[in-house]
Amino acid sequence: MATATEQQQGAGVHLLTGSEVMAHICRLADVDVITAYPIRPYDTVMQYVSKFIAEGDFDADYIPAESEHGQFEIVKHASACGARVFTGSSGVGWLYAMEPLAVTAGLRLPMVALVGCRALDDPGAFGTEHNDAMLVRDLGWMINFPDTAQEVIELGLLAYRVAEDPRVYLPCAIAMDGAFLTHSQATVRLPGQDEVNAFLPPYDRGDLLLHPDNPITIAPQANEDWLMEVRRQSSEAAKNSYTVLKEAHADFSKIFGTNTNPFLDEYMTEDADVVLCGVGTLSLPVKVAIREMRKEGKKVGMVRLKWFRPFPTEELRESLSRFKAVGVIDRDYSFGSPYHGGIVYNEIKAAMYGADKVPHLKGFVCGLGGREVLLEDVKQMADKVISMGQNDAADNEVDWIGVRG
Amino acid sequence: MSVISFEVIYRGIFQKSLAVKISRTLILAAVKEGKPGISFGRYSDSPERNGIPAKQFGYIADNEEELETVAAQYEPKQVDISICVDDTLCKGVESWAWYGLQPINAVTKPGGTLIVTSNQKEDDLVQHIHRRETPYKLAIIPGEASFAGLWVYKDDGTDARCLAAALKAEPTMCSIASLESAIRENIGSETHVEAAREVYEDLRPVEIEPGQGNDEVPFTFELLKWHEMRQGVVIDGVGGHEGFRGGEGGYEPGRNPYFKKWSTRTMRPVVSFEKCTKCTLCWVACPDTCFDVTPDGFFDANMEACCGCGVCEAICPVKDCITMVNEVVFDERDSQWQMWQENKEDYDKYMDEKITTGKIDGRHPITGLAGAFSGIGLETGHNPETAKIKPLKDL
Amino acid sequence: MAETSEYNIGTQELPLMGKVNAIPEKAVEEYFTSGHRTCQGCESALIMRLMAKAAGPRSIILGSTGCMYVANTTYYSTPWVVPWMHTQLGSSGSAATGTAAALRALMRKGKMKEEPINVIAFCGDGGGIDMGVSSISAALMHAKYNLAIICYDNESYANTDIQISGASPWGANTTFTPPGKKFRIMHDCWKKNIAAMYAVGHTRCNYVATADASYPADLIDKVRKALAVKGPAFVHTLDPCPKGWDYDPFYSHKLGELAVETGLFPLWEMTDAALTYTGISARQVYGKRSRKPVREYLETQGRFHHFVEEDYEYFQSEVDKMWDDWMVPGVIPFKVNDPSKK
Repeated sequence: MATATEQQQGAGVHLLTGSEVMAHICRLADVDVITAYPIRPYDTVMQYVSKFIAEGDFDADYIPAESEHGQFEIVKHASACGARVFTGSSGVGWLYAMEPLAVTAGLRLPMVALVGCRALDDPGAFGTEHNDAMLVRDLGWMINFPDTAQEVIELGLLAYRVAEDPRVYLPCAIAMDGAFLTHSQATVRLPGQDEVNAFLPPYDRGDLLLHPDNPITIAPQANEDWLMEVRRQSSEAAKNSYTVLKEAHADFSKIFGTNTNPFLDEYMTEDADVVLCGVGTLSLPVKVAIREMRKEGKKVGMVRLKWFRPFPTEELRESLSRFKAVGVIDRDYSFGSPYHGGIVYNEIKAAMYGADKVPHLKGFVCGLGGREVLLEDVKQMADKVISMGQNDAADNEVDWIGVRG
Repeated sequence: MSVISFEVIYRGIFQKSLAVKISRTLILAAVKEGKPGISFGRYSDSPERNGIPAKQFGYIADNEEELETVAAQYEPKQVDISICVDDTLCKGVESWAWYGLQPINAVTKPGGTLIVTSNQKEDDLVQHIHRRETPYKLAIIPGEASFAGLWVYKDDGTDARCLAAALKAEPTMCSIASLESAIRENIGSETHVEAAREVYEDLRPVEIEPGQGNDEVPFTFELLKWHEMRQGVVIDGVGGHEGFRGGEGGYEPGRNPYFKKWSTRTMRPVVSFEKCTKCTLCWVACPDTCFDVTPDGFFDANMEACCGCGVCEAICPVKDCITMVNEVVFDERDSQWQMWQENKEDYDKYMDEKITTGKIDGRHPITGLAGAFSGIGLETGHNPETAKIKPLKDL
Repeated sequence: MAETSEYNIGTQELPLMGKVNAIPEKAVEEYFTSGHRTCQGCESALIMRLMAKAAGPRSIILGSTGCMYVANTTYYSTPWVVPWMHTQLGSSGSAATGTAAALRALMRKGKMKEEPINVIAFCGDGGGIDMGVSSISAALMHAKYNLAIICYDNESYANTDIQISGASPWGANTTFTPPGKKFRIMHDCWKKNIAAMYAVGHTRCNYVATADASYPADLIDKVRKALAVKGPAFVHTLDPCPKGWDYDPFYSHKLGELAVETGLFPLWEMTDAALTYTGISARQVYGKRSRKPVREYLETQGRFHHFVEEDYEYFQSEVDKMWDDWMVPGVIPFKVNDPSKK
């Protein structure tokens, strides 16, 4: 007998926020242990999760923790005991959990966490900024950036499937733009339980399971005689995540009947001279601006990265080398870094170094703290990239767009 | 020689201040002659544990460039002088950061000198030291091991005497005058200087030939490759027990095969099974799970696991049932209970002999007991009552 | 009433020791054994051994950062027979909660065979009295999780070379509070009364106790009671530390006794909101045995080597207050004002 939620929100099309979709993923993935701690904007997911549990729509041990540190440590340990887990945070809350975030990856535990991207304090702005999610990029965490509530289905389910693959066993962050995705409702086609079951096998911790039947010691203190080997294993797992993700994505497309690219979302790139590149919900104003610019005869396209870890180096090189110039839009910053740009810009530059054909790259910082990226902003950026392409000259200046002054 | 390297091998915490003092003062003596040097503790030994072997290292060079050349390798792979300040360490060194047992002379250069503070004779001591393929010299400074605590330093002249022995081994380090001046400045009185001079004059190193010494192969452990290690920083737990010595009855716990704590001990318990009332207290109170339960209900201290703390002797309610005996008088790690089972008379004789030769006269006193310990306050000299240097004994 | 705490698989039945010589008969098996690299005479290692012995084979043990992780459980040098996992310094409460939650969820959902499994998270005084208070406090709120938190208190951050903690006694010499020419007493705080603090503040926590390895049967029984009770439990042990307290390891057991005999560390247990003093402390509180002067305890340790007469007197007066002035002697440190007296 279907529960109330299933009747209202079973397989089919619904009007849902990104957070709400993530709560449905928890339900569909039959997550076992979930921890919550309030901070905007991620916390909306826990409001939905807790209601599902209260209504009996799915069964999990749901624990409102006493801090983000506790929140992430609890699910870390639950994951070691074979439980599928979910948690999340935002901004400085995510940073308060930084110690568990580091050890979760070090211990190769497949935690899935929602980051409702939010500016770091101080000052305490609530709006989106990607620096919080990006802070785990070097630790072994996989990170994806959905751009729509519908894409949360794909990236959320892939997160569990890839993270829990024994060749990977790494945690995954779903970095969802605060407000634009966490709080905005859109029409979403929810998958059915059978499809999800066909795609997502149960989590099996194998011989790493912490249980009296398997008396192991997990994470003893290790000195320099061992640490490099442990890190080397993590590096291998991170490399594996790329291959496993491709496999899993192929299965996803087959089972759910979708037709997406695993790593890159390209828009109007077939004949584009230049493209704008970035992550997350920026895609919406960028796509609309591109459509308007196309009317003016400007051949602009968009290449959006769905996954930041694993980083799709080959795919990106192949894609971007087709264009004369590329603009990289960052909703984050890396103060004092080369050219004072953002993190995505820095990484794309690193990825392109040594490629056979390297387009000119220009960096932009915009939309910080949830500031709206206006169509004029996008056009302004695109025009700068177009002129860089026309001049065929490097422009390493990183421009702040939409900032007063 | 343009560069002299040395190590001080000591008992963690108990001899930390001593080892640091020796290492620093030797460098400071050379510095007086314009020679640069460095002194450092092995980082992996830190934080130190009571009794667990640890090392200090030092280099003295003629100039900065030479110093850099040797210091580029953080831990010396070979040293000219090895100073061992507790003779029970001659049985081998298993630091808490190492895997396997390292012979005491493992990094002493061919022809280098191993200096040991001991009341043993060279011939007896060398029976404990693992044999090797290259010759070295063994020099004994007569005396008991100098033990102290974390906060209080035992000022019995061991430091000054070790320094003099080191200089005798490698006289190019500095002049005796510079060493004496460094002792005055960094250790203390003329008494110390006299003690140093005496050792410098009397020390007679003996040559140890290749193949001479303990023929036991020290246990080692092969470090695994990254793809051989289990994922997720996981290792197997310790396996369960199998009866007592593999037989019926009794209880011998499973023990970790990779770490044997016996190089941590300076003493071992000797048990009189005749006196034992099977009260269980020694077994219960042992932090190292060292007592095996025998099929007839006795408790047999397993010498693979005992670290020599002495809690069993302290807790035993029966007089002279458990006696802590200097580890240096033992060559074997056999089961005392089995020896007793095989021949009770022989065992009693064995026990009496060991206790007679190796009984520790009084415990290392509780360091805080004012007056019970000839110590000076470490650096701060915080207790004026005990800050006076007492006369050096046993010189 | 439909509460989320309805499902509880229950706890194991663990017989009590009663007296020390019953231990070999009732609990000879070791689940914490040789392989650790702790100091000679380490009482915290003994706590681990007795704790594991009390818990038995169907247990999961979580250990937060501290001596009992760094020196105790190193790569390939584990002493643990039962499954063990490291947790971060401040998260013993979270580790216990997460483990208990996983077992509960997986068993309830039919993903794991149903059986009561002991969950113990241990922490040192750094983890249990300073940094971990937040997570332990949270763990002690959940009646639905059967777990025990054991705080092995050696009164300093002993692992990192003896730095002061919230559990260090007044005046103690630590590497962060060395006595000097200007200030003899650098550590001028009184030790936190942690077990009582947890007991008083957490009404769903049905078992809180203090224990000491010098009274091993009492300790094992308290751990077993902590595991047998449904819901969370907390046990605070005082562990003489030869390195940080600066005494010969030979005296570890003796110092554990002296801490209780002087009244400095009363032994008690709180079950279902009822307090019982145990062992010597019970005789002391009912006047059947006098307290030894605390000086006997202090003088035997190098960390108090710098004390002068007034320090001993002050220390004794504070211990006397615990017994003479507190509402519940040695446990609850306040009195109820009588409004008739102004």
